[in-house]
Amino acid sequence: MIDLVKFTAVALLLGAAPVYAQAPSEPAEEDDPFAAFDDFDDEWQEEGGLTWTGFFESGYGRRLDADPNGLPRQTLGDVRARLETEWAGEALRLTFKGDLLYDDYESEMEAELRELAIQASPRSSVDLKVGRQVLTWGTGDLVFLNDLFPKNWVSFFFGREDDYLKDPSDALRLTWYTNAINVDIVWSPEFEPDNYLTGARASFFSPVAGGIVAPRPPLDARMPDDDIENGELALRLFKTVGSTEYAGYFYRGFFKQPLGSNASLEPSFPQLSVIGASLRRPLGRGLFNAEIAYHDSREDGGGTNPLIPNDQLRLLTGYEFEARPRLTVGLQWYLELTRDYAALVENSPAPSLEPDERRHVLTTRLTYRTAQDRLTYSLFAFYSPTDDDHYVRPSVSYRHSDRWTFTTGASLFSGKRDQTFFGQLEDNSNVYARARYNF
Amino acid sequence: MNTLSIRLMLTSGALLLLALNTASGQTLTDPNEIVARANLASYYAGADGRSEARMIIRDAQGREQRRQFTVLRRNIEAGGDQEFLVVFSQPSDVRNTVFLVKKHAGGDDDRWLYLPGLDLVKRISAGDKRTSFVGAHYYYEDVSGRSPDEDAHVLLETTDEHYVLEHTPRDTSTVEFTTYQTWIDRETFLPMKIEYLDTAGEIFRRVEVLQVEDIDGYPTVTLSRVSDLASGGQTDMQFRYIDYDVGMEETVFTERSLRNPPQQWLQRPER
Repeated sequence: MIDLVKFTAVALLLGAAPVYAQAPSEPAEEDDPFAAFDDFDDEWQEEGGLTWTGFFESGYGRRLDADPNGLPRQTLGDVRARLETEWAGEALRLTFKGDLLYDDYESEMEAELRELAIQASPRSSVDLKVGRQVLTWGTGDLVFLNDLFPKNWVSFFFGREDDYLKDPSDALRLTWYTNAINVDIVWSPEFEPDNYLTGARASFFSPVAGGIVAPRPPLDARMPDDDIENGELALRLFKTVGSTEYAGYFYRGFFKQPLGSNASLEPSFPQLSVIGASLRRPLGRGLFNAEIAYHDSREDGGGTNPLIPNDQLRLLTGYEFEARPRLTVGLQWYLELTRDYAALVENSPAPSLEPDERRHVLTTRLTYRTAQDRLTYSLFAFYSPTDDDHYVRPSVSYRHSDRWTFTTGASLFSGKRDQTFFGQLEDNSNVYARARYNF
Repeated sequence: MNTLSIRLMLTSGALLLLALNTASGQTLTDPNEIVARANLASYYAGADGRSEARMIIRDAQGREQRRQFTVLRRNIEAGGDQEFLVVFSQPSDVRNTVFLVKKHAGGDDDRWLYLPGLDLVKRISAGDKRTSFVGAHYYYEDVSGRSPDEDAHVLLETTDEHYVLEHTPRDTSTVEFTTYQTWIDRETFLPMKIEYLDTAGEIFRRVEVLQVEDIDGYPTVTLSRVSDLASGGQTDMQFRYIDYDVGMEETVFTERSLRNPPQQWLQRPER
């Protein structure tokens, strides 16, 4: 279990020095507006050498109820330092973002490289970025159809900052801009799965056990063989015509979560190909988006293998608009249609535990900002009428100054049945708070 | 001819020249023409331009926040559509955030925001333009311009230096003011002061130009202040390293620049 006192002490130590260093400066002379500009942190003239920026952050989170599987009450205990810099030469740009994290939940210190990449434009119409980088595309808001870049669901569910939903990829990204169409090619020589639920921090439903589990040792799925053939290739064709953005997508790799089992019944990442398309455009006063993706489970074309997921057709439409000044409303409807459903049920060892053929999910995002953007209230909710479960993410963020930001929020899961997507996570509902000092 | 008469001649000549000058600059009487020229002078100088901006945002308690960014702009049509690329460098939590705006004079703007932490190109719905621009007391509309068609304009007074106009919104539901008055410089056509009035006729918001410089022949606002008289907060905005007519291509204002900002135009011009 956590030692809250120790944690608070570390957080305060990290925070205290900057608080005093930040004692408010004298207000500038009323009639000399330049007076204030003159003590701008960095002068108009950029200094030679590298500029280092980053932040210190501490976060603490707790489960709402005791976990029946005996997981600790604490869900988050991070003390993190981030450093970022970049160097731009004539033809090259080097970028670096690295974290040093003391994870009190795991009782360990971790160094995490978020980005270390070289950017260049070998031709005037080509951008190249090679190295570790965070990658995102697609039109969904927290719903991913064609974005198969690695995600960190543990960070997302347990109250880390939104950026940490995305794990970095070691990849080569080539973007080619032409008048006809733009092409994005991302090749990752090594398969990088999502940071999935292992039972270390979250309990989940196991069809084998027929109930909620938090396995000890935690789940450790079998990775695809270390082979150049087992990399990932992601492709995007995109073009903006007028105000409408069109894109086509292709992916060849593996399921990002261990949804299959190999011959020796170990959890594994079955082969996956995805093809899809999206569009996004203004509609009325808001923005409309639509996206489609076909997930081709290459090892189970007919849907008869109970150890491998079936193909799925995924559809998404969304609309976002400003309902009142500073109040943004986003609505999405998402459908997963499982193909060869009869074959799935026929071959399933436990047909009653299989998901429905059609899984509908509705999402709402409400964001309200106060006058100078100091306070941001946010509510994101997933609700599935077919699974009869939901996941609600309320949060309040206070930007006290350019230095300090405080955030508190919750992840609330609930469902009628143990085996549904959000229902299985009910015991993991948690609240969290974070303080960040930017420098 | 004695010295006195020469002096008189010179003086009257100078007076005549001054009078001619004013005549060629004309005293305008059509408020719509004054507003159209003010719109061009404020937002459309040159075919394109680059400039570095920084803001100090102060709340009523004197607490300060800062923003520093570079603005690239290209006119598609003088007085009409424009494109903007805004690249933030400070504070550190918004560093490398990029904002792309395609301003449509006759309709809603297209806006995109790039969040580098997630590598996310986020599109922003056409919203209320009278909300805070990145936490400042400036509104989006102060930065990119309010369409002259949205208000009815009346010329209240012509002073030695200014045209004083009153503007009444055609659609009151989208604004927080009842009317506003502007003091437009008769020579440069830059609005030097704007005061917004509430339903009680009280001034609750003021935008003032504190410094104008001639840049490449264009009178350019280099320091301005907006004061929120209701809350007591204010924001100062300063522009420097300004360059006009640099020949920016159309491709600068595309998704490519969100992920890979055009260094060519972000680098400071050598002087």
